[in-house]
Amino acid sequence: MIISVKNLVKRYGNLVALDHLSFDVEEGEILGLLGPNGSGKTTAINCILSLLKYDKGEIRIFGRPMRPDAYDIKRDIGVIMQNVAVFDELTVYENINYFCGLYIPEKEKRKRLVEEAIDFVGLNDFRKFYPKKLSGGLLRRLNIACGIAHKPKLILLDEPTVAVDPQSRNNILEGIQRLNREGATIVYTSHYMEEVEQICSRIIILDKGKVIANGTKEELKNMISLGEKITVETSAIRPEHLAALRRIPGADSVEYANGLLVVKSGKSKNNLENVLDFLKKQQIGYGRIYSELPTLNDVFLEITGKELRD
Amino acid sequence: MFFHIFTNRLKCLLRDRMMIFWTLLFPILLAVFFNMSLRNIANSETFRPVPAAVVNDAGYQKNAGFRSALKSVSEGKDKIFSLTETTRKNAEKLLEDGKIAGYLTVGDKIKIVVNRSDFDQSIIKSFVDSYLQTSSAAESILKANPPARSGLSAGLSGETDYLKAVSGGSADPDPSLNYFYSLIAMACLYGGFWGMKEVMDIQANQSRRAARVNLAPVRKLKTFLSGMAASLAIAFAEMLVLLAFLRFALNLDFGPKAGLVIFTSFVGSVVGLSFGAFLSSLVKAGENMKVGILISGTMFCSFLSGMMYQDMKYIVEKNAPVLGYLNPVNLLTDSFYCLYYYDTYGRYLLNIGLLGAFVLLFCAGTYFVIRREKYASL
Repeated sequence: MIISVKNLVKRYGNLVALDHLSFDVEEGEILGLLGPNGSGKTTAINCILSLLKYDKGEIRIFGRPMRPDAYDIKRDIGVIMQNVAVFDELTVYENINYFCGLYIPEKEKRKRLVEEAIDFVGLNDFRKFYPKKLSGGLLRRLNIACGIAHKPKLILLDEPTVAVDPQSRNNILEGIQRLNREGATIVYTSHYMEEVEQICSRIIILDKGKVIANGTKEELKNMISLGEKITVETSAIRPEHLAALRRIPGADSVEYANGLLVVKSGKSKNNLENVLDFLKKQQIGYGRIYSELPTLNDVFLEITGKELRD
Repeated sequence: MFFHIFTNRLKCLLRDRMMIFWTLLFPILLAVFFNMSLRNIANSETFRPVPAAVVNDAGYQKNAGFRSALKSVSEGKDKIFSLTETTRKNAEKLLEDGKIAGYLTVGDKIKIVVNRSDFDQSIIKSFVDSYLQTSSAAESILKANPPARSGLSAGLSGETDYLKAVSGGSADPDPSLNYFYSLIAMACLYGGFWGMKEVMDIQANQSRRAARVNLAPVRKLKTFLSGMAASLAIAFAEMLVLLAFLRFALNLDFGPKAGLVIFTSFVGSVVGLSFGAFLSSLVKAGENMKVGILISGTMFCSFLSGMMYQDMKYIVEKNAPVLGYLNPVNLLTDSFYCLYYYDTYGRYLLNIGLLGAFVLLFCAGTYFVIRREKYASL
């Protein structure tokens, strides 16, 4: 067990940010922490790192209790914050060297690790640049390099791809998977479902400071009622057609708007053939047809609800 | 580890142009402005000999006493008149051209010819009045007591002072120095910017970088002290640059105790640094608020020390002396002045002792706040 969180409670006045939160992180996994705004993801990370006081609970990392002065534990942790946390007055190389130096006192070893980190995030051409001269994506990469240069066994990434262009995002995600392949255990928080779906081996969904779902992608998708979503491009659907479609067995929801007919079926139901038969019989012309299995986004929305969060 | 943090902090701090401006260039600019304005005041207060003429005719030649008296005040370093002996016609022309303030004619009576009444003309008149009074007194004494002639000359030519001025030290009193000394003290307190930055870069609830530093396996106190050592090195180096600029570029006199002046600047740098750190740890508001409090607090203390209005220092000393002892800028200003003016060290040591107490207070307060290792919120 790399991380063990038991009954963690954190209050801000009357607001309960973490409500008896419990979960474990196993060695070698990439754990995704998902949740709407204010669900307690960042608070949980800060409590795990002993940055924040908490009211109740127990946190153990590498089997030992985590405290602010647990330097032997901290030595093997790398953190990539939600916001870029580097020194504007130091160059790319100097920033990575400074933060790496807080973990690795030996100069020669540190030099090698800094070079590896620069290679890893692809900042070779920018090593003498000051952070203010870097684009958002490059800054994020620098932020990551500062957090992982010392080769930690456990890496916590708190929304590292916010405001990053698709190319940089892809680069970052591939990098995280590479770190995992090299042996690091990863805890990854994000709003982006497709990212979590792409890289995480296990996912925990938090809401209002509680774990409301915990499992692999497949396990989470099995938790919801939605089985299949069929989308048809057509412009000739009339109300009586919709009524007929709703009578197809297993078709839980049939909607038509903006030239798109959407038929949602319950779990273990495959209605693609039935829908196509109906269109042919009724001689309704159609364009493209999509059949999709539920995504993590569907899971997230079904579990956490669709009401807007701050 | 100490060296790693120290060198990187040095780089960070030295590349912060805004901080360098406030802590080094701003005091130097103020010193230049002070020097320009104080030099103008000094020039306006310097006594210039009054240009005057005397008609060199038979009457003047005949009155040896007046001639001697006039020549005695028109010669030497401290002369009152810049005297021209000339003809009446030329004297009139010089007066008309404004080249002299007035001219004298010596006959039965001594007459002053001027074309306006001003400060210079009053000096000429005062001299003539004084001469006439003295010569009249001498004539009266000689009439009454002819044997007194021998001691009369010395008795009339000199004036007896019944008060004796005793200097507190070897240096000449120079009130204008107080402006510069309070400026140096202000610059010391501006070292608080460095202390402020150190605390902001170590407190996880004050900056993101600090949060990252807090996650490293390094004792917080070690990180803090390494950073403070770098800050002190820069703050003290800046003070040395400022002192060198004042001494060699502006010719400011620090008196003979250069070593102690440098030591006092070092103490001032420590006071400034610890003050900034204490302020930063105490005030939870953002950086701009902290900077605002530091600048306004330091400027107010400098004002009370006489940086903007010299007499303020004496007003405080007279009406609220405790305030003077509670004001680190005033204690530093006074320390510099003590070193310049006094031969004894009692007052200087009292100031240094009080400054030491301030450092202890600020350091203890800062430690008390930053030693907390977890935060209620970030």
